[in-house]
Amino acid sequence: MQWELETIGVTKRFGPVTANEGVDLRVKKGEVHAVMGENGAGKSTLMSMLYGLLQPDDGEILIAGRQVHFTSALDAIGHGLGMVHQAFQLFEELTVWENIVMGAEPARRGFLDRRRAIASVAGLAERYDLKVDVTQRVRDLSVGIRQRVEILKALYRDAQILILDEPTAVLTPQERDGLFAVIRALRDDGRTILFVTHKLHEVMEITDSVTVLRQGRVTERMATKESTPEAIITAMTGRSVSLDVAKGPATPGEIVLQVAGLTVGQGPKPAVADVSITVRAGEIVGIAGVAGNGQSELIEAIAGLRPGSGRVTLKGRDIASLRVAERREAGLAYIPEDRAATGTAAGATAAETLLMGRQGDAALSRGGLLNLPAISERARRLIAQNDIRISSERAKVGTLSGGNLQKVVIARELDHEAPLLIAEQPTRGVDVGAIEAIHARIVAERDAGRAVLLVSAEMSEVLGLSDRILVMYEGRILAELPASEATEAQLGLLMAGRTGEAA
Amino acid sequence: MERLKSLRPGPVPLAILSGLVIGALMLLVSGDNPLVAYREIVEGAFAPRNWRNTLSWAIPLVGMSLAAAIPLRGGMVNLGGDGQIVIGGFVAAVVPIYLADAVPLPGFLLAAIAILCAMLASGLWAALAALGETRLGIPMLISSLLLSYPAIGLTSWATGFPLRDTSTGLTQTRPVPPGAELPELFGPVTMGLVLLTIVVAAVIYVDRRTVPGYELRMRGLNRRFAEYGGVRTERQALGAMFASGAIAGLVGAIVVLEVHHRFQNGALVSPSYTWSGLMAALLAGGNPARAVLAGFFFAALQTGGFAMQREIQVPRVLSMVLQAIIILFVSLRYGVGGGRGPKDRP
Amino acid sequence: MNMLNAYTVNATIGGMTPILLAALAGVLCGRVAVFNIALEGKILIGAFFAIVGSYFTGSALGGVLCGVLATMLFSTILAYGVTRFRGDSIVLCIGMNLLASGLTAYLLRQIFGQAGVFSDPAIAEVDRIVIPAINTIPWLGWIFSRQTPITYLSWLLVIVVAIVLFRTPLGLRMRGIGQNPEAATTLGIDVGRTRRWTVIAAGALCGLAGAQLSIGTVGIFAEGMSAGRGWIAVVAVMLARDNPIWAAAVCLLFAIADTFSVQLQAQGLPNQLTDAVPYVITLVALVIGALRGRRRRMAPV
Repeated sequence: MQWELETIGVTKRFGPVTANEGVDLRVKKGEVHAVMGENGAGKSTLMSMLYGLLQPDDGEILIAGRQVHFTSALDAIGHGLGMVHQAFQLFEELTVWENIVMGAEPARRGFLDRRRAIASVAGLAERYDLKVDVTQRVRDLSVGIRQRVEILKALYRDAQILILDEPTAVLTPQERDGLFAVIRALRDDGRTILFVTHKLHEVMEITDSVTVLRQGRVTERMATKESTPEAIITAMTGRSVSLDVAKGPATPGEIVLQVAGLTVGQGPKPAVADVSITVRAGEIVGIAGVAGNGQSELIEAIAGLRPGSGRVTLKGRDIASLRVAERREAGLAYIPEDRAATGTAAGATAAETLLMGRQGDAALSRGGLLNLPAISERARRLIAQNDIRISSERAKVGTLSGGNLQKVVIARELDHEAPLLIAEQPTRGVDVGAIEAIHARIVAERDAGRAVLLVSAEMSEVLGLSDRILVMYEGRILAELPASEATEAQLGLLMAGRTGEAA
Repeated sequence: MERLKSLRPGPVPLAILSGLVIGALMLLVSGDNPLVAYREIVEGAFAPRNWRNTLSWAIPLVGMSLAAAIPLRGGMVNLGGDGQIVIGGFVAAVVPIYLADAVPLPGFLLAAIAILCAMLASGLWAALAALGETRLGIPMLISSLLLSYPAIGLTSWATGFPLRDTSTGLTQTRPVPPGAELPELFGPVTMGLVLLTIVVAAVIYVDRRTVPGYELRMRGLNRRFAEYGGVRTERQALGAMFASGAIAGLVGAIVVLEVHHRFQNGALVSPSYTWSGLMAALLAGGNPARAVLAGFFFAALQTGGFAMQREIQVPRVLSMVLQAIIILFVSLRYGVGGGRGPKDRP
Repeated sequence: MNMLNAYTVNATIGGMTPILLAALAGVLCGRVAVFNIALEGKILIGAFFAIVGSYFTGSALGGVLCGVLATMLFSTILAYGVTRFRGDSIVLCIGMNLLASGLTAYLLRQIFGQAGVFSDPAIAEVDRIVIPAINTIPWLGWIFSRQTPITYLSWLLVIVVAIVLFRTPLGLRMRGIGQNPEAATTLGIDVGRTRRWTVIAAGALCGLAGAQLSIGTVGIFAEGMSAGRGWIAVVAVMLARDNPIWAAAVCLLFAIADTFSVQLQAQGLPNQLTDAVPYVITLVALVIGALRGRRRRMAPV
């Protein structure tokens, strides 16, 4: 059988870490082929090699039966590959057509041929029913439209094999349906789609066959209609896991956090518009929403990292005018969404990283002088208690894996034993095993009587952990519902801003 | 594997070696013997009879290294050392001259007041650049540098016209009143050296043992992390720049009160203490203790350069060239040896 | 304002040329997101090697070519430093500025046996082009006649840079690299190579700037003769937000301010004060620019 795309024994190592080992991938022409796996299973590395961004240490890549060696993305594009990255690779200040023709510009006598560029891009968009205004600047576009621009970029280069890397992560369910329609149209046009995802129901819905990766190796390869969700899960995780969180009913107590009329940003469409939230001791309030609907801004305003107008009270005390350090002291712990960019500093030691935010504590410093023995002592204790895999408290945290680094952040923030815990995307990019542990700790915090405000883009996480759910859409709280009554379908509609249909 | 790695020369020794090799090539091209030239540098700096020279050159240079290292520790760059050192020197000369006219004070008190005023004035001038960044968003890199020009212009004008010592042909102020000079204590040890040593010790202590030192280091590693942890980064920028400027002011005051005993136009700028100090701080990656060492190393290189020029007529600016080459190699450190950055991983 | 005579205006326009060329270099680098603050050192290298070339070839053209080539070569430090070696551009540029001042002083002694200033009848200066038709017309002739070819070229280059940036595939790629280098990589654009050549081309512009400064204006080389012009160019680039036309406008503004300071000097103000005027004006421009920018940011979108 002639495969459209085939890899034989592809292996890639990063120092001591093996990201892919002996991967055999076989994709038929004109099919939608799912590449599944947990975070860190090696999907991104494999796709980067297929797209020429990385070179395999071993093994072969074949396209239509012919072996290829890509040294750059340009090679891959030349062989008919196209890729839509999970994080969009767009130029915000440029127009749609400029984004699309970049690198393959129509030119006349050395100058850009704008008219021809615009016409061909618009024609392409029309052909696949991708509604886009090609002269708009990308910074003015919504996430769904941006994804169309990405797809057009690949089609403009006449991609026969299109790699979609976690394409639905940032979409509302309705935008996702639109994407699936486009995928079907492309398949019917004879193009081959590689659909990289870790979402099971999407695999079942749209793909023809599936290859499952675990720890860098292929563990399963089958036709979608012949497989079952259970089989795929087992192949992905090597064991049957339930993502349901074990927790008893909440016993909400006094009000810990009260946000009233909080607005962040100016103009007719502020990032956060007139938001009011109450979180009580002993409950987990989850904020659901597609990323970029004002959740980050809301949390940063509560933590004091971003100015906002409105009232924020913590255990009855007005903290709206307080600085970050004073808010932390008033009883706020905060697990930020990006542990590498915000939660840690790669060049700092574990002890220094674990100290941040507590450097003013009487136990750790006095009169501005650091109590170094106490700081080391505490760091050693936290490393041991939280099973952080690091050689010593004097080692730098930059070498830690994502899960271990997240443990550092969580250890530090939970050690604060603050009445309010804000957890923003606490399990993003963390292995399934670690996810369970983190969820259990958050529930334990709740059971210890703390108020937890959870923000997550993962619907299952919000549904599984929260006692109450708030849905955020375009900077507003669109709805509030008890977790026990919420369903994925209903939440999906709310996240898309459709209150009427969800009711 | 671990042991092999630790045996490899670190980036700084490698950079120094590269600088010396390139310098040797330059000397060969111009027909000089590099070994002889380097021997002259070493002797000129370290022969016992030259210690005093080296030390007196090292005091301002090490001081300016420290001044540059403080903001660098927090990821900021102060390019305005020239303006700050000049203001410090100017204030340290003018204050005792006119204060002594107004009230009779003992010399040491005049000197103390002069030094404090110099530090305050230079510190405030430097903090102005930080204010430009925190309030207006003007990059401190640019504003600190641009602020030097009016500082140099104003002091130069004041020295040339209203405050000029008309009894000499030079553009300089009157000498400071007797007693206000900083004394030599014993051997090569001067009051300036003692003051500088105290400041060095204080800065290293603050860096390693105090909350502000910890917060500045964390800011240098990841500013967002520091802000997230409650560090008030705007106030911190003002503080770091004030400290940096104040040390530059102290350096200006020491040179004026200990060496020239008056403010001479251009005397603080032309030896390029600021830029050598900045290079030393860059070489040290902002670590204050290492900056002091690097500053001393550059001072030795430069004093040795004088000897080289005197003995074998090789221009002493060669030591500036060597310094610059060393810095360029240090800034390439991540690439040397084909090391792979974190970005190679998807 | 009777002091605004033909000579002053003419000299101001000619004196603006190095800053304008350096600013264009800064614009090019800024577009590909290389923060180039080595303009000062590059001008100095260009000025010195223009003198070297002029002295040894006896021709001004030889001097200009020598200055341009030397500065391009010097720029490879930054070009490779920020790409292949992933150095920090600020540290590299500080090192380059110091290397330039040390190296030119060293070579001045080693090649010409001089310290401080070098002047020699053997240095061929760049001829000025007199346009007889307008030469004596006030303003028009003052500005547009009796300038060096480098000055005319600099005006042309403003337009060339603008066209390249906004009307060619190369310019589109450069702008793309500046905004999102990773995205450009995924489209198969060689970011490193584009950056390298941009920095080296910018070096050529700085070389021209240096040549104008030494053999286009005074026919001498003095240590540190760039005297902060490169830094003013950096500010011009910042204020112009990497737009070549705006950068030219900002340079013109600085030139007018400079004329003003020459006026003050003619009125009897000491030169120690007037020398600082361009920098004070630059600072004031930065503050005004920042205040305006802030108001724009405050305004509702």
